Amino acid sequence: MNEEIKQKIKERYEQELNKGERFWPDSIFKDVIVSLGIFIVLVLLATFIGVANEPKADPSDTSYLPRPEWYFLFLFKFLALYGQIPVIDKIEWLATVLVPSLGIALLTFLPLLDKSPYRHYSRRIFALTVMGTIVLDMVLLTIMASLPVPPDADELAVSTTLQTIGGLWIPAALLTILVVIYAFKRSLYWESTRRNVPLWVTVAGAAMMVAMTAAVSIRAAAYPKPEEAEVPSTLVDQIVAGQDLYSVQCVECHGDDGSVAVIEGVEGLEGEKITPINSRDVLYTITDGAMYEVIAYGRPNAGMPPFGKTYGGELSRSEIDYIILFMRYTWDDRFEAPVIPELFPPLAEGEVPSYDVHIAPIVKRYCVSCHRAGKENNDYLMTSYEEILTTGENVEKNIIAGDMNSYLLQVIQGHEIVNEKGEVIIGVMPPKTKLKANVVDAFIRWIMNGMPKTAEDAAALSVMPEATPAP
Amino acid sequence: MWKKIFDWLDERLGLNDLYNTLLDRPEPRGNWWNTLGSASLFLFVLQGLTGIFLTIYYTPSPDHAYDSIQYIMEGVAFGWLIRGIHHWGASLMVLVVFIHMLRVFVTASYKYPRELTWFIGIGLLLATIGMGFTGYLLPWNQRSYWATTVGTQIAGTAPLIGEFILKALRGGPDLSALTLQRFFSAHIWIIPAILMALIGIHLYLIIKHGESHFPKKDE
Ligand code: HEC
Ligand code: HEC
Ligand code: HEM
Repeated sequence: MNEEIKQKIKERYEQELNKGERFWPDSIFKDVIVSLGIFIVLVLLATFIGVANEPKADPSDTSYLPRPEWYFLFLFKFLALYGQIPVIDKIEWLATVLVPSLGIALLTFLPLLDKSPYRHYSRRIFALTVMGTIVLDMVLLTIMASLPVPPDADELAVSTTLQTIGGLWIPAALLTILVVIYAFKRSLYWESTRRNVPLWVTVAGAAMMVAMTAAVSIRAAAYPKPEEAEVPSTLVDQIVAGQDLYSVQCVECHGDDGSVAVIEGVEGLEGEKITPINSRDVLYTITDGAMYEVIAYGRPNAGMPPFGKTYGGELSRSEIDYIILFMRYTWDDRFEAPVIPELFPPLAEGEVPSYDVHIAPIVKRYCVSCHRAGKENNDYLMTSYEEILTTGENVEKNIIAGDMNSYLLQVIQGHEIVNEKGEVIIGVMPPKTKLKANVVDAFIRWIMNGMPKTAEDAAALSVMPEATPAP
Repeated sequence: MWKKIFDWLDERLGLNDLYNTLLDRPEPRGNWWNTLGSASLFLFVLQGLTGIFLTIYYTPSPDHAYDSIQYIMEGVAFGWLIRGIHHWGASLMVLVVFIHMLRVFVTASYKYPRELTWFIGIGLLLATIGMGFTGYLLPWNQRSYWATTVGTQIAGTAPLIGEFILKALRGGPDLSALTLQRFFSAHIWIIPAILMALIGIHLYLIIKHGESHFPKKDE
């Protein structure tokens, strides 16, 4: 750049300064308003959305789908789509290293590459269309990356193809056209009458990219939503989560309250003597860290299977931690338990319980430990509403709306089911403990009123006495 | 009385000179897009303040990191607010810095005499992203653990030096206590120090050359 042009630029700037404002207070005023606005937005976000609670890191859980922070999603998606290109997809570093480095290098040396002294938009169509295309693609790739995963292989193929076209091929073609025009027919960018050509090419390409992304998003809207497991955040929630897990995984050997000293009714361990795990002998001498290992690794030689995912069990790090919290806060007299809410909200006179609010937590606590896949239970699974109503060898008789003779109601009230030959086909349930009266009552009311699923359905069936106005 | 104190201080600190050079500067007619640089600065300061508060309780070890964050969220008065601001502020800072860069690009403010301001700016953009990357691991939850595993893996695919980069980032073949310690140190000392130095130069250059004006049709 020669001195003359530099001089011109300086003079022009002086003129603008003379027509301008003062940094203090004019510019600062705007800055303060924007910063204050940002601060308010942050406080609102922190208060009303907060930070999503995640389970603790678990190096053994390799099934976890990694999700980077949102501003890396576009790169993530780019790499995934790049993997779809035949031949060069084998040379990984082209996409992981070369393309990003090239991008950063171009951006960095922009002032050296773009030497023209012109600043107005009309004279920078090339720079603006290229940057516009790249930024739009980054936005679209981010959107694609945050869509739910297609449910089956066919849909996955369709979705990936659309994404590759919209997120990779069209922008690549568009950039190539822009660069080719620049290299061979630069005048198209300058002459004001024909400047429209690169602009319209860009608009058309951008429209196609957006259309592809829209198509992918519309398809994705119909996918089944992945179930977001709630992560317990408060101590109380964690203890309750621990108790539910304990009920499912541990009661058959250690009993409801950890007091079992001689195991009964477990194949291969019948009559095995163990130290009750609710005793001080166990709780005072085993630290949290050691307890974690006992549960994760089990005591395979003595008969306790491993539960940690590292050793082939079902429980994640956090889940084992919750169980330990439950054990400490309920049995260890050095810990003072916080107030634990009831398993389900108490039922009022005439109120009908629902599956969602009442029966699900009860079943999880008292029945699922045996009534899930892989256990002996007459094929009666109880992990969801549908399973409870539609599985089991005696599925027609287990649950009959409005019938007190339903097998389920009989067995939980201590009456075995006997067949014509006088053999017991279903013993009392749960086999070793007795349910509390309010739990039995909830089951009876639920079945007698037709097994409503949601709280609304149950409320519609309830015959509540007129609410007495508060005094 | 106040005037006397002011005069005394002014004589030794040069308050009036400061006022004249830093604040009472002429500027071209401003535009709301020009507030994004100072908004980035504001977010940097805010992240610094909330971050310092978080280090009081945060413990950078795989055994305690997760629980210390839980404690900040549940046990410490207004801990959730401070962490919430730091969490969202990080996202917003990346966004604001990026849009600030876009506006500088669109108005072609990187041209003579502000090329150096742009170079420093790229450093700032990369450092800001680096803050996001290193900070993401610190809560040591599933999300952060696996995102960092994949992120460092990607860096490790570089030809020839990939292996070295991977080991340097992780402090070993796998993510471990060393990785966490390393990321923590980068997040609270190394990158902020770089950011602060770069911001200093950035601001000096901006004052030296003045804010650019919005280009007119003939420029
Ligand atoms: C299949 C039966 C079985 C299941 C299920 C089971 N355990 Fe055990 N557990 C045992 C046996 C047997 C021992 C005794 C091992 C010994 O004596 O060395 C034991 C020992 C323990 C001990 C150590 C006691 C000591 O004296 O060292 C703890 C703690 C424990 N179990 C907790 C659990 C928890 C928590 C669960 C649920 C996640 C669970 N167990 C599930 C059979 C089981
Ligand atoms: C300790 C394990 C265990 C627990 C806990 C348990 N069950 Fe069972 N359940 C069984 C077994 C085993 C059978 C198979 C019949 C038998 O052997 O008595 C069964 C069968 C049943 C059947 C008959 C299924 C059919 O179609 O034949 C019903 C109904 C039933 N259970 C209800 C319950 C309910 C309700 C609970 C919770 C309150 C519960 N069970 C808890 C072990 C258990
Ligand atoms: C932590 C990050 C950053 C901070 C705190 C920051 C701060 C600022 C401030 C306060 C200004 C003056 C006001 C304004 O124009 O908005 C400014 C201008 C400028 N920034 Fe940044 N900035 C950052 C990142 C960047 C990046 C990523 C770039 C580009 C790569 C960049 C390039 C520039 C340029 C060229 C100017 C001069 C603009 C002009 O004179 O019109 N900055 N910056």
